[in-house]
Amino acid sequence: MSDTMKPKVGIHGLTSCYGCQLRMASVQEILRVAQRFDIEYWSMLSSDGTIRHVDIAFVEGSVTTMADEEELKAIRENADVLVAVGSCAIHGGVQGMIFGEEYRKVFGEIYGNCTMDFEAKIAEPIHKFVKVDHNLPGCPPEEDEIMYYLATFAMGSYPEEKDYPVCAECRRNGYPCVLIERGEPCLGPLVVAGCGARCPGHNIACFGCRGPVPHGVAWFDSLARTFREKGMEKEEIKARMEIFGRQYEKMNEMIEKVFEHED
Amino acid sequence: MKIEREIRNDHIARIEGKAGVVVELGDEITAKINVTEGPRFFEMITRGKTYEDAATICSRICSFCSVPHKLTAVAVAEDALGVEVSEQTTILRDMLYFGNMVESHALHLYLFVAPDYLGYPSAFAMAEKYPQLMKHGLELKSYGAMVQSILGSREIHPENAVVGGFGKLPEKSDMERILKSGTEALQAAVATVDFFAEYEYPTHIDLPRNHLAIRPHRGYSVYGDGISASDGFSFDIEKYREFIQEEVVPHSFAKHSRYRESPFMVGALSRLINNSPLLDGTAKELLSTYRSLLREDNCFANNFAQAIEMVYFIEKINEMAERLTVKKEERVQPEASEGKGYAVTEAPRGLLIYEMELENGRVASLNVITPTAMFLPMMEVDVRNMAKGMWESGYKDPDLIGNKVEMTIRAYDPCISCSVHVVRL
Repeated sequence: MSDTMKPKVGIHGLTSCYGCQLRMASVQEILRVAQRFDIEYWSMLSSDGTIRHVDIAFVEGSVTTMADEEELKAIRENADVLVAVGSCAIHGGVQGMIFGEEYRKVFGEIYGNCTMDFEAKIAEPIHKFVKVDHNLPGCPPEEDEIMYYLATFAMGSYPEEKDYPVCAECRRNGYPCVLIERGEPCLGPLVVAGCGARCPGHNIACFGCRGPVPHGVAWFDSLARTFREKGMEKEEIKARMEIFGRQYEKMNEMIEKVFEHED
Repeated sequence: MKIEREIRNDHIARIEGKAGVVVELGDEITAKINVTEGPRFFEMITRGKTYEDAATICSRICSFCSVPHKLTAVAVAEDALGVEVSEQTTILRDMLYFGNMVESHALHLYLFVAPDYLGYPSAFAMAEKYPQLMKHGLELKSYGAMVQSILGSREIHPENAVVGGFGKLPEKSDMERILKSGTEALQAAVATVDFFAEYEYPTHIDLPRNHLAIRPHRGYSVYGDGISASDGFSFDIEKYREFIQEEVVPHSFAKHSRYRESPFMVGALSRLINNSPLLDGTAKELLSTYRSLLREDNCFANNFAQAIEMVYFIEKINEMAERLTVKKEERVQPEASEGKGYAVTEAPRGLLIYEMELENGRVASLNVITPTAMFLPMMEVDVRNMAKGMWESGYKDPDLIGNKVEMTIRAYDPCISCSVHVVRL
């Protein structure tokens, strides 16, 4: 491939922990990756770069300020393909837990009467503002997935997102079931695979950091029923499921339903 | 006030997170670090969560410091619940924390700072001309990442470190892997010290200041029970609110902190200023060779201090990996479900304070003060003095002044994601 055919990429961060960009920067073959692409923008690593036309833009973080929203729209206008990277960009992230009316109240409590120079807003996933072409899930994404996405783009192809839960990988690895055998509130059945069931492999219940499985098939209701059978209260179930799922449209409704029918 | 020139950068490159800087030059000179990254309300989103879930959420405050946040959140819950962990857990946590120090310092020095010194926009651009230097940087980064992956389950967001101990303990072969890469990493760290020792610190910003660092439990450690200041004063962590005040300022979503009404510094330099008598081994030797570089009045000495610390932490990891025979043990399960706790540790960028109240095993309140929120006011003072010094010496080119201003900011290794959450209500 000649230099002129190298795909142009931009790597951007909105509001987040910057872990997705850090994970991308720390893949083993980062120097070789950097040679295969023209990196037009990566402000975390380079003081040389402006938002200009790219083939692929990667965006980490949720939209949490007006400036985030404007920047995201500029990124979208200048990118042929836009990839949402990580749980904040895809689902709003843990900061997405403060929602609706609650947000104004909390903001007032913290910053009080001080009039801020910049405008902040509820943390939301980027698909609420622009068209997203691909999701690269994770908190942060795994090295093999980052390399897979980059490789497909380098070849002029596109990646396919996993659509099955952590449980599939957990079973394949032969780990004891944290939910059934140890009775702990494991979120594996809801959460998109790709981590190799790392936490269950460390005797720790899945915390859901990769976010719900895509295509609207995250069965919050059936897992809530199992948790209920194990003696958990509705509020306890919500408190755990909302950490990475609060902005999943049907989460609340599905949990409520379980308790309505069986009360 | 008459403004003759304004230096403005809305998005400073090569730092963690999003911040801008505005310097106004004229008959008066002002500097502001605009923290524009949106607030994420960690103290709110952890309310009502179990202490385990809260600690896991807290690691998301920042990726560069995910180990410090997780381990400090774990420590504060253990303090609240009166949990005493085993000696083995204490050692493994030190190793995990030190691994994070090495990776974080390596990322800062090689990916963020070195390009400034060598005149490149990025480490990628620098790699071709300085392959050996980049090799050292990547070796150190990978070494720190490996230690964190082995003990924490991965290099960012270490889910394996939990209240009472670890989900899964490392094997003998894991310790051997750590030891095996230790020698090479140590050589790279020593070379890093030599590299940073060659650069003279910019003038204009020499200013005596207070340095705050942990009062460590054992040796030059990241865990402790109080804070000591370079003015000779020291206090228990339970009393932090008496001595560290926070305030809201309009240009920053991060609150600003003061120690006894004045700006202060925290981080690698502050740790060495206050605690360097506790060093040993190669780091101690190197520091005595380069003693004059440990300048308490110049923030650029922080880069050198980080390099010295990498040497120290790698040697300590090696010692622990060599000595420790990991034995099987269960996590300690807390007996209590209520209580109030305090914890202070030394994150790569400086003091990290957690205060937590638990009711029925769930978080009733949490307060976190991060190092970047602590040093922001001092950083503004240094930025202003840098711009003022250059301006008054006849420099008029805003790009030139802007470049030195950014280098001053980078010397602190600011972590904007950390600074922006929510602080004391």
